[in-house]
Formats: sequence, C-alpha cells, structure tokens
Amino acid sequence: MLGARIREAGWGYGFVVVPIVVFGLFFVYPFGYALYISFFHWGILGKQSGGAGTFNYAKVIHDPVFHTAVKNVLEYTVGVVPLTMALGLSLALVINQKIHGRNFFRSAFYFPSIASSVAITTIALYIFNANGLFNHIIGSRTPWFQNAPTVMWAIVGLNSWTSAGTAMLYYLAALQSIPTDVYEAAAVDNTGAWRTFWKITFPLLRPAHFFILVVFGIGALKLFDQAFIVSNGLGGPNYSTYTPVFYIYRTAFTTFDFGLAASAGVVLFVIIFALTLVQRLTVGRQEAS
Amino acid sequence: MTLQTVAAAESFIPRRARAEVTRRVFFYAVIALVALLFFVPFIYTLTTSFKTLPDAANVTFIPHPWTTSGWHTIWTQYDFKTYIKNSVFLAVVVTVCNIFLGGLGGYAFARLKFPGRELLFLLVLGTIMVPDQLRLIPVFVMLTNWHLIGNFSGYILINLVTATNLFFMRQYFLTIPKDFEEAAKLDGAGYFKTFWRIMLPLALPAISALVILQFQGTWNDFFWPLILFGQGNPAHYTIQLGLAELNFQYGVLWPEICAGSIIAILPILAIFLAFQRYFISGVVSAGVKG
Repeated sequence: MLGARIREAGWGYGFVVVPIVVFGLFFVYPFGYALYISFFHWGILGKQSGGAGTFNYAKVIHDPVFHTAVKNVLEYTVGVVPLTMALGLSLALVINQKIHGRNFFRSAFYFPSIASSVAITTIALYIFNANGLFNHIIGSRTPWFQNAPTVMWAIVGLNSWTSAGTAMLYYLAALQSIPTDVYEAAAVDNTGAWRTFWKITFPLLRPAHFFILVVFGIGALKLFDQAFIVSNGLGGPNYSTYTPVFYIYRTAFTTFDFGLAASAGVVLFVIIFALTLVQRLTVGRQEAS
Repeated sequence: MTLQTVAAAESFIPRRARAEVTRRVFFYAVIALVALLFFVPFIYTLTTSFKTLPDAANVTFIPHPWTTSGWHTIWTQYDFKTYIKNSVFLAVVVTVCNIFLGGLGGYAFARLKFPGRELLFLLVLGTIMVPDQLRLIPVFVMLTNWHLIGNFSGYILINLVTATNLFFMRQYFLTIPKDFEEAAKLDGAGYFKTFWRIMLPLALPAISALVILQFQGTWNDFFWPLILFGQGNPAHYTIQLGLAELNFQYGVLWPEICAGSIIAILPILAIFLAFQRYFISGVVSAGVKG
C-alpha cells in the first residue's frame, strides 16, 4: 500500500517537473532577479563591479522622459477604458436583442479583438494617413498618427474599436445572467426602455463594470505594440508615443542600460499592482454592501 | 417596395405595431452601419493590396487597374515566405508543447496525490501575476548568457508551457468521471499510459480550445519575438516582425503593406470562422473566473 502511494507520488512529481522548472526559471526567479539587477549598473557586458544602491530608481523617478511616458499612458488609459466600455456595452445591448443574424454580428464585432495588433495598426496607419480614407470622409489633412497632439488620441480611437468586441462579450455574459423577472416587473410598472436601462440594467451590471475596468485598465497601462508601430519604434514625434513599457524597451535595447530598465519595470509593476489592490478592495467593499 | 406602398401598408397597421416597425427598421439601419464600420477597414485593405502604387493614393474601393504586383513583391523581394514559415513553425511547436506539458501537469494536479501538491499549484497560479514587463530584463539577460538570443530555442523554451493552459487543462480533467481511470487501472495500465491513452483523448474539447487560443496567441505575438529576434535577425523574423519592418522601411508602399497585413490576419480569420465558439466561450469563461 505504502509502495503504491510512493509510486503515485513519484509519477506525480515526474509529470509536473518540467512545468514547475519552466515556471520557476522564467517567472519566479526573474521576479527576484529583476529586483537584483535594478540595484546595479548593468550594461550589455553584464554587471559592473560595485552596487548602484538606489541610483537607478532615483534616475527613473526623476527622468523627464519617464514622466512623459507615464503621463501619456495615463491620458491614454483615461480615454480608452471608458470609451471601450461604452462601445462594448452598446454593442452588447444591440446583440442581446432578438435580431436576425445575431451570431454574425457578434462575430463581426469581436474579430478585431483577436486579429494581429501589428496588422490592425498598420491598416489604421493607412486609413488615417494625411491623404487617407478617414480624412477624405471628414475633409481634413491631419496626419493623425504622425502628429504629437493627436497621436495618443488616435491610438485611443483605434484600440477602443479593436477591443470593444471583448468588452461586448463580457457584458453579454453579464446581461444574460440578469433574471428576466426584474424586467417583467418594470414592464408591469410601464417603465420606459431608457429608464429601465439606467435604473435597472446599468446598476445590475456593476460586477461586469468593475471586472472590465480592472482588466482593461491594466491592459491599457501596458500599451506597447501600437505605440511602437505608429512611431517606427522611435516613440516620436517628440516623445508623444512613449509609454512606460516603451521606455523599458528603449532603455534596455538602445541605451543598453539594463539596470535602469529593470528598475523602470519594477516601478511599473508596483503601480499596476497598487491599482489592482485598490480596485479589488473597493470592488470587494461595494459588493459586500 | 416603393415609399408609397410602405406608407399605404403602414396606414393599415395599428399605431402601436407601426411604432414597433419603425423601431426595428431604425435598429437594423444602425446595426448595419456599425457592422460596416467593422468591415470597411478590412475590405479597403484587401482591395488596396490589388492596386498599383499610384492608384493606392486614390480613395476608391475598386482597383484601377487590378494588379497582383504588391503580393508578388512581398513574396519575392521581402521574404514573407520565410516569415510565414517561421510563424507557423513557432506556433505549432509552442502549441504542441503546451498541450503535452499543460496536459501532463494539469492531470497530475487534478488527480495524482503527492506531498506539496497544493503548494506547487499555488506557485503555478502565482506566475500569472508576474507581468512580462518585469520579466523582460532578467529573462533577456539569462537567455543572453545561455546564447539563446536570436534563435528559436530561446523563444520556445520560455513558452514551453503557460500557467493559464495548465490551469485550463486541470479544470477540465476535474470534470471527467474517475471510472475511466479505475477501469484502466484494473487493466494494469500505468500512470503515463492512463494519461496518454485514456485521459488526453477524453480531454479533446479542452485541447481544441487550447490549440486555437495558443496558436492565435503565438501567431500574433509581437513583444517577445521583437526582443529575441528583432535585433537585426531577419532570417528569424516572424510574420508580425516582418510586417512591422516593411512598415518602417517602406512606409509608403501601400499595396505591399496591405497585402502583408492580410497575410498576418488571414490564418486567424480562417481559424476564427471555423471555431468561433471556442474563442467566444474562452473569453466568457475567463470573465466568469475573474
């Protein structure tokens, strides 16, 4: 009997050993290693002798380029998250009706979410260029993605269009979990559709609102691909497409300051982790009340 | 139907039903308009890929004249052949490794008893919290030290198995009745044989979902290929890197760029059309989980 249990445990360890080694080596260990690197002057040739203390952190926190990156990504997040949620909820409300071709529309709205970000951004560059389709329609010549004041807002527009379909699916699942008797009661009271939505549906969707806010908020703070593509990997014009992840990338692979890049990574992680905690705590409290 | 007949027909419909008809017509007009907003960019890209370069500057949906020169150029001059080959190779290898290792690990965590199982499983779940941006520098330094930068083995190694996939497989194994394993045990099958011959085939629905989502994830991945092969290593470029490079180097060659974008999107569109329910249920279950 004991032999059988030992044998089972042996096979159990055997089955999980490769995944555990992969996770340990490329997730758990790097977590600590990132902290370690951030306290050294670390270049392309590796660690330089002597610790850097908090030098890298002081440098990141006082670097005007990092400030710009944080400011850009916060502006972007404040723009893209509510817009995506509003679009996603509107699409979900439409799809949730008894309409012909429901599955077709649902798939059509969702597809941009799973298509390659590089290809979608490339298409946007074409449509929004100075002489492109969009400007042709609205009668303008603005190079939306090559213009410092407009570029982040152009990415906001692009990404809320791209990810609205994902928000739509989350909202659809939430809408379908609302019991129908709530609506029957409203119908008996002869409440109008608009009032029913704001007084009943919208508040009942609160868990979905918070979930989407957290998931999309964190995703927005990690903006990289689109900023990289529209600026030819340079972060311009005039640092207007720099984001914290972009800052980490440039610091590591154009100035080869791995110590500084690692500390920027730690700072970004702390910001995201703190926001997650704050949101989790407030959600928890609101749910309980 | 002409406007008059619509008006004539409507006069026979009671007031309330007429309001309903108007509402529905308005509704379909809006949804069609929104759908157009989702289709036009792709259609416009597709037609532009068949235009000549001067014609690409015209805002028209019909190429004049039609040409396949954009497609021909990216195929012969810009080596999209290699990019596609690389992307398919990585997506297939990473997906197969994830099925095998995620399945094996998921099965052990679901069914086999061994000391420390719960603790190790917590560690697996904890890795979901470590963001790529934090891992980037240490993983790059480690792979550099091991001479795994600029070749596929480094990419495959760090993507051998993900915690999400292992967790997903475990959850599915938990739903399979134990009778199957007990029958296998009576037949004298060992643990690996039970997993390989009985449990893995039973988990086919979960495997299908994993294949689709992992293939899509690897095919679309831009961040890690950029870090690992992006430093002037065109022979290892994936389709996403190749498209980005085409953008950066030849940003005005719209027919070529549009053709490249279509190639980067098309396999995922095909998979999506064939297996939509896996994508949609995958997203929704992630939502329920969170």
